[in-house]
Amino acid sequence: MLPSYSSSTTSKMSSRHHHAAYANGYPRGNTFDISPHRFQPRASTPAHRRRKNLLMRLGITLIVVVLFGLFVWPGNASMTSIFSLGLIGVSDDVLMDTVRYYDLSNVQGTARGWEREERILLCVPLRDAEQHLPMMFSHLRNFTYPHHLIDLAFLVSDSKDRTLELLVEKLEELQAHEDPKQPYGEISIIEKDFGQKVNQDVESRHGFAAQASRRKLMAQARNWLLSATLRPYHSWVYWRDVDVETAPFTILEDLMRHNKDVIVPNVWRPLPDWLGGEQPYDLNSWQESETALALADTLDEDAVIVEGYAEYATWRPHLAYLRDPYGDPDMEMEIDGVGGVSILAKARVFRSGVHFPAFSFEKHAETEGFGKMAKRMQFSVVGLPHYTIWHLYEPSVDDIRHMEEMEQERLAKEAFEKEAEERAKKIKDAFDDTNSQWEQDKSEIQNLAKEASKEQKSSSKKESKADSKKASSEDEEDDSTEISDRKSSRGSKKVKNQELEDEEEVDASQDTRKGSSGDSDKASDKSRKNNQVKAES
Amino acid sequence: MARPMGPVRLRRTNYLTLAIGAVLCLFILYFLLQSGSDAPNPTSQNPNRPPIRKPTSKSSLIGERPPVRRFNLNNVTITTDPIGNREAVLILTPMARFYQEYWDNLLKLNYPHELISLGFILPKNKEGNAATTALQAQITKTQKGPLKDRFRSIVIERQDFDPPLVSQDEAERHKMENQKARRASMSRARNSLLFTALGVDTSWVLWLDSDIVETPPTLIQDLAAHDKALIVPNCYQRYTDPDTGKPAERPYDFNSWQDSQTAQQIATKMGPDDILLEGYSEMATYRALMAYMAESEDKKDLEVNLDGVGGTALLVKADVHRDGAMFPPFPFYHLIETEGFAKMAKRLGWQAVGLPNYKVYHYNE
Repeated sequence: MLPSYSSSTTSKMSSRHHHAAYANGYPRGNTFDISPHRFQPRASTPAHRRRKNLLMRLGITLIVVVLFGLFVWPGNASMTSIFSLGLIGVSDDVLMDTVRYYDLSNVQGTARGWEREERILLCVPLRDAEQHLPMMFSHLRNFTYPHHLIDLAFLVSDSKDRTLELLVEKLEELQAHEDPKQPYGEISIIEKDFGQKVNQDVESRHGFAAQASRRKLMAQARNWLLSATLRPYHSWVYWRDVDVETAPFTILEDLMRHNKDVIVPNVWRPLPDWLGGEQPYDLNSWQESETALALADTLDEDAVIVEGYAEYATWRPHLAYLRDPYGDPDMEMEIDGVGGVSILAKARVFRSGVHFPAFSFEKHAETEGFGKMAKRMQFSVVGLPHYTIWHLYEPSVDDIRHMEEMEQERLAKEAFEKEAEERAKKIKDAFDDTNSQWEQDKSEIQNLAKEASKEQKSSSKKESKADSKKASSEDEEDDSTEISDRKSSRGSKKVKNQELEDEEEVDASQDTRKGSSGDSDKASDKSRKNNQVKAES
Repeated sequence: MARPMGPVRLRRTNYLTLAIGAVLCLFILYFLLQSGSDAPNPTSQNPNRPPIRKPTSKSSLIGERPPVRRFNLNNVTITTDPIGNREAVLILTPMARFYQEYWDNLLKLNYPHELISLGFILPKNKEGNAATTALQAQITKTQKGPLKDRFRSIVIERQDFDPPLVSQDEAERHKMENQKARRASMSRARNSLLFTALGVDTSWVLWLDSDIVETPPTLIQDLAAHDKALIVPNCYQRYTDPDTGKPAERPYDFNSWQDSQTAQQIATKMGPDDILLEGYSEMATYRALMAYMAESEDKKDLEVNLDGVGGTALLVKADVHRDGAMFPPFPFYHLIETEGFAKMAKRLGWQAVGLPNYKVYHYNE
């Protein structure tokens, strides 16, 4: 851009000194405005460039149209594949939505499942459980394990109350919760009736005779629920009873941290004070004992040993009885039978075939048989003796009877107390009458006395001087007579105690104080006083 | 023209750059929008589809609100007329090798394909990988093919444990000492597949081995018509007779039998972890084998009660599995796998039945 020398050479007006230029050699305004070198705009763009432009515009328009078309008809797979150069298998997805591929080694279950986004299947068998549902949903809301990783599965069987309706209502409420972290993953409600003949009330439920068939039916229900809802993407399965009253919010993580195949906490229940405050509840978590094994050998093929009944004394160490309220909650104990109130198990345990035997498996059924079978397949089965959850206390028939008795007792007591109160009131009233009478009498007497004293005063004013001395002497005389009376009475008393107080009797006359040991102090004081008075006199 | 000093400016618009920019913008925009439009779960379109979900964790995120789904299993019928009652059938196959003949035979089944779900489980080794690739190719072909050939849903699973044997060769596989470990592993594979694939509306479960290459096309209806909890056809093998050079057939599966006194006596002397095996001369059980009960083709409906069943082809009412009957991977009454399954079903009150004259054919290696 420097001034070109060529231009200056072309100018004929060249001189050694550039008149028209600055001293620094830059040109002035129009100095070099010489036409042959000026840029001359072309009259029109060349034909080839016009063609190129046209093609470019057409191309852009075409692409825009294609893309627009893709937005409008997203299902148009062939367009997509052309556009994405076949890099994305969109067409596969659209056509092959029916095909799923799972690698089961990705869902083994680890100690920190919540970080690895491991899915849990939470199974809850329900029967006539309407009254317990609100409590269960409060637990569901409180779980700290990410809710979207938990799939819920319920089995409602043979229910005569509104269990199903209430469950659906509550679940829909939960899924529509304003907090986006509340809704759970997939929710399935399975309805199946098994024609249960056993009643669900506590007495018939826990009676010994009903146990075997009842537990086989329970096992059947559990298997139906699990087989219908377990999917290849579940890493864990958590079984939870609906009637758990208190449990830590972090129970899933707490149990998972142990990284065991099957793990159960200790289950107790609170009791009313008159029954001792608390009690072990779930006796199905136990370690096998020699006695029980020997017992099992004597029973026939279909017999089921049920724990916690006097009929089968197994002498097994129970998880429940080993609880220490101040023990380490992480302490583990190997067990053989498990209770079903709260079981966390890896899904691979169930995948490999362990289930709740609805027949007598090694003389056990349901959850105890489950523990036995898991052990049989070399899975680790563990209980936490000092990590406790609390089962709801439902009074048994005996308890209810006892409570009725207590209630009657209480009523009787109350009635008695009321009666007593009334009587007291009556008596009081009566006393009140006498008191007022007394008061009345008293005031009357006082009035009389006042009047009398007034009269006396008026009369005594005249002879006050003479009287005062006379009165004092009279007093003394009174005292002495009194003392003599006392002595006589004391003498008669002494006769009774003669044998005991022989010595005393000797100096009784001299020392009346000693002799009056059995009497009141007041009396002795008075007698002392009297003696002194006597001495003075 | 000579210009004063200053920033150099491009005077001509580069259309090529602009065009590339526009295309890129649209490209990016397309993918942004596409991922959004893909989000609605396709299962919501078809309520009849079994609840199988993509294995990605992306499919369920915080804030998503899956609906509450109710399934009434009281309404799942299991009848002698499965097609008329639109009963869902689940065909389960543990697969070690893929045989084209197996797939072709499967496609020939004339039970309505929209009622058939398939489940496969394959080991995670070299052979398994090869089989998976071959299987997936065939599945893709079928599921993209004519609508009537498409199956309702297909689940492919890979085992989470290693198979105990390196070789799947016939000779190695059938060695007696290898049997227990092999069949225990097979049991676990079967159970894994069964308990994860059994749907809420499944009425029948058909166990069909991957080396069954020929069955009557009406297999499912025929077996279901007997209305038995467990029903087994007779498994034979076609071969060329080396003496005559003519095609012939011979019994193949010896796991379907009626128990014998001898076998029970042997069992009482056994340790708790020993198993009884069939078809080995070292252990003569004198059980009545269904394989040898075949008489004539025209008595196809002849039923015999069985105490042990084979798993090559086996139709089971879904209720039997739901009650908990599975393939014990441990000695259960000295029985394992399918034989143990028959025993467990019996303990739950379900009787196994065999059809000696109804034949399916095993692949000839």
